[in-house]
Amino acid sequence: MSKKQQRKMTVIFVVIGVLLLAGIFLTAGASAQEEDIVTVIRDAVIHDTNKIALFGLEVNPGLISGLAVTGILTVFALIVRIFVIPKFTLVPGRFQMILETMVGYFSGLAEDSSPHKNRLLSAYIFAAGLYIFTGTMLELFGIQVVTTAGHSVALPAPLSDINGAIMMGCTSYLFIVVGGILNNGLGGVKGALKEFSLPISMSFRLFGALVSGAIVTELVYYYTALSYVVPVLVGVLFTCLHALIQAYVLTMLVALFYGEVSEPSEKKLRKLAAKAQKTEVRTAEAA
Amino acid sequence: MPLGLNFTQIFLHLFNFLLLFAILYFLLYKPVKNFMVHRQEVYRKEAEETSQNLEKSEKARAEYEEKLAQADREIAGLKAKSGEEAQAHYDRQVKAAKDEAEKILRDAREEAERQKAAIVQEAQKDISDLVTDAAEKLALHQSSQENFEKFLDTVEAGRAEAKN
Repeated sequence: MSKKQQRKMTVIFVVIGVLLLAGIFLTAGASAQEEDIVTVIRDAVIHDTNKIALFGLEVNPGLISGLAVTGILTVFALIVRIFVIPKFTLVPGRFQMILETMVGYFSGLAEDSSPHKNRLLSAYIFAAGLYIFTGTMLELFGIQVVTTAGHSVALPAPLSDINGAIMMGCTSYLFIVVGGILNNGLGGVKGALKEFSLPISMSFRLFGALVSGAIVTELVYYYTALSYVVPVLVGVLFTCLHALIQAYVLTMLVALFYGEVSEPSEKKLRKLAAKAQKTEVRTAEAA
Repeated sequence: MPLGLNFTQIFLHLFNFLLLFAILYFLLYKPVKNFMVHRQEVYRKEAEETSQNLEKSEKARAEYEEKLAQADREIAGLKAKSGEEAQAHYDRQVKAAKDEAEKILRDAREEAERQKAAIVQEAQKDISDLVTDAAEKLALHQSSQENFEKFLDTVEAGRAEAKN
């Protein structure tokens, strides 16, 4: 970069900085919040104030976020299925590469963690990972919905709603238990039940991580002065990071525990080996 | 419920997630995975075909090499045979040439001997004629014993020279 360009860039940054500072000071005290910060944070954690009407039910905004994520991903999947997948080539283009990397990552994680049986596991962690990631990234868009009290709230991550986090944790645990039963019968259940704290830890890990992100975002956006520059760090970077980290952690844990409970027992392995030996002998005799 | 827990909402979340799972599985995961498997299969088949072709070409190469070696052996045999034949022909030719040369030499010697003998004979005859002429001349002009003795010595010397 030449000296002239450096000078130009410095001037631009200084002007932007001055404008931001002017904005902060001129708008200080101008915006009137409908709720105080304690109510906002309390509502972000337990959702007892702001409810959204859904077919006659009063639900948390997190559920609406979940439905929005499902809608967005459904439209995306439909578009990809109809317009992109039929045009897949053996030498992939950029978008095909992204899709294949996503599927290949979850498929590889499932194969590594559970080499014996992993078809269902890879599909589950693909869906769960995509749901957590997209749901958390939804926070960034700040989609507004109107509550039953007439307030406007931005849609939070679906898993920052404790009901959503409990659903994800318990479903993942049940999935692990079912995997154990399908692969190892009651022996598999024993292995899964040993980890009885898993649904609680998985649920609250998700809930804690996402609600903390939501609280920080609420705090930042509550005060007008913090709404300049700071959201770039705490809003965008933190959201992107914890979207990735939480999707990775949950899928990794599910894959690991599923692999553990679905691993064939020694008795089963002996049986399988004996069966394979018998088949070999029969084949040799037939030959 | 404490902490805002609500079973209806948990089930709604579950229904939503299961629906999303089914949609993502059938619309996105399965087709992409199938394509990846298909590509793997295509490349595996290609690799297999390549390996088979490689094996075939290795086999063909070995066959050609064997054939070449066989041809080389045949060529070497033919070469050796033709070498032997050429050597035999050469030997025959050399022998014939030697025989011819010996014959020519022998004939030449014989001819030379014959010519020599003829020359000597002629020379003797000439000498005898000369001697006779000389003797006649001497007998006519000199009658002394001394001259006669001289004459005899000269004849003897002439004979000895002619023999050598």
